[in-house]
Amino acid sequence: MLRRVARRLPALKMAYRNLSRTKVRSSLAALGIVVGVVAIASLGVFGVTLQDSISGNLGDVGNQFTVTPSGENGVTELTERDIERIERVSSTATVTPMQSNIQPVDFGGEGPASQQSLLAVENPQRVYTTVEGSIPQPLRNGVLVGQSLAEEHDLGPGSAVDINGTSRRVRAVITSSGSGFTLNPDNRLIVSIDRSAREYDRIVVSEPSGTEANATAMEIRRSLNNREQRVSVQQLSQFIGQIGKVFRAVNIFLVGIGSISLFVAGISILNVMLMSTVERREEIGVLRAVGFQKRDVLKMMLAEASLLGVLGGLAGVGLSIVAGAIINHYIAGNALAVFSPQKLLYVSIAFAFAVVASIVSGLYPAWKAASEEPVEALRS
Amino acid sequence: MIVDASGVTKRYETGNEVVTALDDVDFRLHSGEFVSIMGPSGSGKTTCLNILGLLDTPTEGEITLDGRQVKGLSDRERTTFRKQTIGFVFQHYYLIPTLTATENVTVPRTFDNDPGAPERARDLLDRVGLGDRLTHKPDELSGGQKQRVAIARSLINRPDIVLADEPTGNLDRDTGHQILDEFARVADERDVAVVAVTHDELVKEYTDRTIDLIDGEVC
Repeated sequence: MLRRVARRLPALKMAYRNLSRTKVRSSLAALGIVVGVVAIASLGVFGVTLQDSISGNLGDVGNQFTVTPSGENGVTELTERDIERIERVSSTATVTPMQSNIQPVDFGGEGPASQQSLLAVENPQRVYTTVEGSIPQPLRNGVLVGQSLAEEHDLGPGSAVDINGTSRRVRAVITSSGSGFTLNPDNRLIVSIDRSAREYDRIVVSEPSGTEANATAMEIRRSLNNREQRVSVQQLSQFIGQIGKVFRAVNIFLVGIGSISLFVAGISILNVMLMSTVERREEIGVLRAVGFQKRDVLKMMLAEASLLGVLGGLAGVGLSIVAGAIINHYIAGNALAVFSPQKLLYVSIAFAFAVVASIVSGLYPAWKAASEEPVEALRS
Repeated sequence: MIVDASGVTKRYETGNEVVTALDDVDFRLHSGEFVSIMGPSGSGKTTCLNILGLLDTPTEGEITLDGRQVKGLSDRERTTFRKQTIGFVFQHYYLIPTLTATENVTVPRTFDNDPGAPERARDLLDRVGLGDRLTHKPDELSGGQKQRVAIARSLINRPDIVLADEPTGNLDRDTGHQILDEFARVADERDVAVVAVTHDELVKEYTDRTIDLIDGEVC
């Protein structure tokens, strides 16, 4: 197999032999490429991992948004009619009305009851996940507590709390993420909603996907604010999109820094190739004398440069994947996450960049070697 | 007649000075002839060889090689023509150190996709008495052996002419005799014209005729 390749690509065979004549020098030049590839690839992978990790912490809320009263034109509450209009906009949406208020709560400890933020929610199991216990359906008189609040007052399923003079039982402790930044339940108590009030201060709308959520949000803005500015719609996905933009800019900057090292590696290849051109001046003259065309010499020298690039690049790719796995292990907790298309894209870009940089660096020495007159080379 | 050169003149410009390396030289060479060009250093021997070998072009004069006028050939055409008709042997052998004897002999065929080249190389090495040194690298060979590898290399393209620049310059007397024997055999058996440029008087014993060059002129 190798023999057949060698016969097909004599320039590559000659190049390999020539590079192995100066093993240390060739390895050092290739090492420059390795460092360049690792720099670009691991900085790229690092950026993507950080972005993924931060977006992940913000919650999987791209498909969720919140409708609140706009505060203008005397609109301070949302009504059943608003819910109906939202439901009319999208048949796939899950609409969860909420009402927040502040009530005196006694956690059963010593001291007076404290003022706590309560969130009355219809069907809380739609928007919240539990750490402990389960959300009964319906919640009736039960109460759910946010994680921080539960830790602070040592609450768990079965604990009793006194809200505004009425004793209620804690059913579950709920996780803080996964429900959007405007509704973070961490320090809240969740109770079932009293729909007889028919007034709400926010409505959470969930859609099966982010694209649908976006379309619904736009439609709600259009139809509910038709005559007057009634509602405002807050989408977390917009926020995440902006974070994404910032991260892409940071990533380009990081990869830019990484490519400086590849640029330096290219100069080192240029240097090594020039040295080898000078040292092998007579030999190249002989090759030209025995019938090598200029382009044959060019091919041979470019093959040397590309071989340095490809070998260095491959080693760099191997090391980058190892480095990427370590980065992913520590940031994302999953070493195998390095094999995501976006991260592998950075690795491939680094490799391609290495090969191109090597060939570009080899151009001048190759041209110099090929254009030397054999009679001049042999005279020396 | 394989080479017909007439009125060949070569001038170099160095600074404001014009140096005439060859001055109106006429030269004819027949197949199977072994000719030496002799003369002191700076007499224009190597220039003459380079012009005959299509490595250099004359300032004036006409050269016909194997019936073909060489004036006006492009670099690429000259290289191809050189490859087809001329073999070179150098004083310093110029073998590639990483290649074995056989591989060194096949170097001129590298870009030709010529699967028969290694077999021919082994045959040529066998004929110059290196049948047992086929896989040796240059640093494992003596000076005389290296020069034989170079002779085999010069013959791999089946040339009409072999040009040798000081072929015995780096060899002791005995080895020199052996190498010159080899050239004489090449000329006889293969009907190849051999031109050796040298200032080694020993060469005269082997050649059919000698051309003496002094200050670029034939004496």
